[in-house]
Amino acid sequence: MTPTTPSAAIEAIEIGRRYGNVVAAESVSFAVARGEFFALLGPNGAGKSTVMHILTTLVAPTSGQATVMGHDVVTEAKAVRRELGMVFQDPALDERLTAAENLEIHAVLYGIARRDRRQAVDEALTWASLTEVGKRRVRAFSGGMKRRLELARAIMHKPRVLFLDEPTLGLDPQGRRNLWERIGALRENGMTVLMTTHYMPEAEACDRVGIIDKGKLVAIGPPAELVAKHATTPGATLEDVFIRMTGHALRTESATAREMTVSFGKRGGEHTR
Amino acid sequence: MTEMAAPIGVKAWMGISPAVVHIMWQREMLRFFRDRSQLWGGLSRTILWLVILGFGLGASLREIEGYTYGQYILPGVITLNVLYASLQCAISLVWDREVGLLREVMVSPAPMLSVTLGKLLGGASIAVVQGTIPLLFLPGIYVAIDPVAIIEAWVVMFFMGILMTAVGVIIATRLKTYEGFGAIANGVIQPLYFLSGSIFPLRGVIGGVGFIQIPDALRDELRRLGIFAIGGGWVVQLPAWIQVLVYCNPVSYQLDLLRHVLLGFEQLPMAADLLVTFALPLVATVVAAFMMGRMLKSR
Repeated sequence: MTPTTPSAAIEAIEIGRRYGNVVAAESVSFAVARGEFFALLGPNGAGKSTVMHILTTLVAPTSGQATVMGHDVVTEAKAVRRELGMVFQDPALDERLTAAENLEIHAVLYGIARRDRRQAVDEALTWASLTEVGKRRVRAFSGGMKRRLELARAIMHKPRVLFLDEPTLGLDPQGRRNLWERIGALRENGMTVLMTTHYMPEAEACDRVGIIDKGKLVAIGPPAELVAKHATTPGATLEDVFIRMTGHALRTESATAREMTVSFGKRGGEHTR
Repeated sequence: MTEMAAPIGVKAWMGISPAVVHIMWQREMLRFFRDRSQLWGGLSRTILWLVILGFGLGASLREIEGYTYGQYILPGVITLNVLYASLQCAISLVWDREVGLLREVMVSPAPMLSVTLGKLLGGASIAVVQGTIPLLFLPGIYVAIDPVAIIEAWVVMFFMGILMTAVGVIIATRLKTYEGFGAIANGVIQPLYFLSGSIFPLRGVIGGVGFIQIPDALRDELRRLGIFAIGGGWVVQLPAWIQVLVYCNPVSYQLDLLRHVLLGFEQLPMAADLLVTFALPLVATVVAAFMMGRMLKSR
């Protein structure tokens, strides 16, 4: 096993995760430098979220090891959690609570001192341009508002590494552009960002991209370099390269517990939202 | 964001952070009071069981061990509300984990034991609120309101709530999707309720219609003298297999203590009542916290 690179913000060494016989990720190795903007690209079910969950300590790897800001994700999970901010693929908010209440819970969970909590909540609301609706329940928020709230929440405790799991999923172009500008501002402040995405323009704007397929990392490098190296036709784009490397076949995957829960809720079978 | 003191990390001792416990408890309370349907559920269960069944069946069964049927099932109806409140609060964990706030909690440095404790205290507090609804009907079933008895009843309800929320959390950590909720409601709450001595006694003297009607004041007087059954009736005893199930059900003991506190009548050994009511919730809490931690690692 290679020794860890001390300057790396995130380092994954041969990490893998199996669920019984199913391999969700296998021998994935990469490093993200401090202040780098890194995107994981891959078809549905390729293992992007698994890698993300291993790095954020939500899932233990069944092989390999990984560090975030020098802390091991398994043995020093608590230290890793203090360093990172996370925006999940779909909102992880309590919809019966107000925006301010959601933020206050976050402040407590991350140990922000009581005297600073109010200020932290107000600042996060201001950052997300949600001050006016801070006392409204999140249930009434649009998808874009929820995303802004979650992004503001993720950086509330001043993490040094930000994980974004398809942050612009389901947003309209206006919402996507707005969120992207906010993410860009964080980048200028030196935040390390690891994101997963399906949108090629977003991936092209990153410092480096890792293409992941069937649980394995199949290519890694700056977007322009990947295009130059793997393009077969002149004028090829990152999307062409992506399709070429991961194939044209549509991916079928069974619904996850999350998707089943969501659809159950949509049918009106949910009592507690 | 502008200058602000950097977070100092969650202050915790042995995994217990008072601030985290408090905020998670507060979250459950806010959620409960913002969802009126749960309160209405508690009220409608009380009306169905205590008022309609109590007076309806009470018209045929004049008394059980000297208590009217409404009085006899009052602790049972409280128990039913406690069961619903705690299990509903606990099972919401499945939803919370897949599409709600719990993922945010799981990725935070907050200790899982404190998160679990907040959840259990929240479930138990909601259970006390829900369990208090039937108490509002005390004058309607001719039971004098005794402040000490009410406080004691709240204590029993609270511990019952801790136990049942913990049991619900343990089930929820094993459930993959929310669709199992219906099975929980019917497959857990109802057996625990029916087999707890809530609506029929283990054994006792039951008076039928046609036996003498006596004024309530005289009934109280006779009860003080140790005379419970008046006029006549039958001595009934449950079939042995149901008795076994009732004895195996921890809710039976908590309900028995509740009935003792409210009516001064009990059917089970008091030592067992006290042990199950106060010790079992602590054991269940430890198991629930362990399961919450394991759920995190095994996903």
